Amino acid sequence: MTSLPDYPPRFDTDIVRPYWAALERGEINLPACSVCGEYQWYPFGFIRCHPEATLEWKLVPNKGTVFTFTRVHRSFLPNAAAKAPPYIAALVELDGIAGVRIPTVIINSESQGTRIGMRVRLNPQKRSTYTLPAFEPDPTP
Amino acid sequence: MPTHSKLAIVGVGETEFKRAHTLGLDALVIQAARRAVADSGLTARQIDGIVSPDTYPPHDEIALGVGMQRRAFSATTPLIPGAGPVAAIIQAQLAIDAGLATAVLVTYGTQNSNPGGPYAYHAADPLKADLEMPVGYYGQPLYFAAVAQRYKHEYGLESEQLGSLAVAQRQWASRTPGAQKPAPITMQEYVQAPFIAEPLRNLDCCLLTDGAAAFIVTSLQRARDLPRKPAVVAGVAAGSNPWTLTEMFTQSPRFLDIGPGEAGQRALQQAGVSLQDVDFAQIYDCFTMSIILQLESLGFCKPGEGASFVAGGRTGPGGDLPLNTHGGHLSHAYIPGITHVVEAVRQIRGERGVAQVERAEVGLVSTFGGPDHATLILTSDR
Repeated sequence: MTSLPDYPPRFDTDIVRPYWAALERGEINLPACSVCGEYQWYPFGFIRCHPEATLEWKLVPNKGTVFTFTRVHRSFLPNAAAKAPPYIAALVELDGIAGVRIPTVIINSESQGTRIGMRVRLNPQKRSTYTLPAFEPDPTP
Repeated sequence: MPTHSKLAIVGVGETEFKRAHTLGLDALVIQAARRAVADSGLTARQIDGIVSPDTYPPHDEIALGVGMQRRAFSATTPLIPGAGPVAAIIQAQLAIDAGLATAVLVTYGTQNSNPGGPYAYHAADPLKADLEMPVGYYGQPLYFAAVAQRYKHEYGLESEQLGSLAVAQRQWASRTPGAQKPAPITMQEYVQAPFIAEPLRNLDCCLLTDGAAAFIVTSLQRARDLPRKPAVVAGVAAGSNPWTLTEMFTQSPRFLDIGPGEAGQRALQQAGVSLQDVDFAQIYDCFTMSIILQLESLGFCKPGEGASFVAGGRTGPGGDLPLNTHGGHLSHAYIPGITHVVEAVRQIRGERGVAQVERAEVGLVSTFGGPDHATLILTSDR
């Protein structure tokens, strides 16, 4: 059984709030350029393709594939209570969304293991004050 | 092509390297700097420039501590610190070429025992704090583990290939005065070492160090009048990949591209040497994995061949590719980038005793910090 980190977003920047708000509803919301639609992930304070554009948030598919992962045996998160290794940190590429990787934790993969290219779906997990965007193996074809 | 005056590194110095020092970072940097000045054969009054990769300690304090009388040139390199000490040589070159300074002190220290350790640098990034830390995607070992796992998927990667580097560097460290980890390890000990983040074990990760190192850059012409053998700056080049440090370990479109790329080639071209001429290499080793990727980027082997390229102990003493001959950041000390320069100078001078590489005429130093990178070619005075 893997455990999960609990380290709430600091919200150093308000720009990411719509991402976290959508996760509370079980959805993935990503920022895109209002001119050409290119996803701005990560969202900086400027838009890389069209500097005069604004950010437009779009709901995107909540399924994808594992790009890479690592089983974390020792976490370096600053707060000891937040760490909870071992867990499987991963990057997931969402279906049809080019150039975006979601940092995540893979859960419920004990029986089959985790591998690159594995199909996964979002399974948000409640933590102390936020919902963590975990993914789990997707059994549907 | 602009012509530069030929430069040399004429003095090197370092502090004792420890997991935790009682001295502050300012005292450590000044101690290393004073030792570099003494080693150079110049007097403190003859040092008239400072370049450092960090804003602390401030240059007025360094100058006071070293005993400099005239600080005509002062610069901080904006490259991300791993690449900073080598990139500092470029700024020293510009200052000396322009007649702004004649002898430049480059110094850098770290205090990893500070709260948050080396990870705090990344925790200070708002987007990492807001998008990565909440899912536990945090800390340099995890970043390089994610890279290594992807490499393993694309090309294959065996524990013993990473282990070959770790074991070889302990052998070098056991031949190096002042190394933090001088006790050799065996491959069996390596494969039984605990994972930090798979596939990386604790022995794949650099040390944590409090300490500092320094070196002095001046013209080759002047260096020839000094007591020690000059280490000639035959080529030095810096560059940066087109992504941010913030995104590098999650969003990079070239996830396995870490290292010097064309800047490495520029440094070799300036020096008029090829990789076949390189007698030893000091390759920035925050992790074993980072060595493999830089060797590929430099062209020592093709992408995907680096892991098998370093295997079998060839990077250790007596091997045909002497690499990180002081033990590197894995086994000697982790003062990012600068201890590799100091070691390269000592090899060129022929001062390394039981760790001396035979015919050490051409040395390559490859460093990076995030997307920034800098490569140095040092040669004997030929």
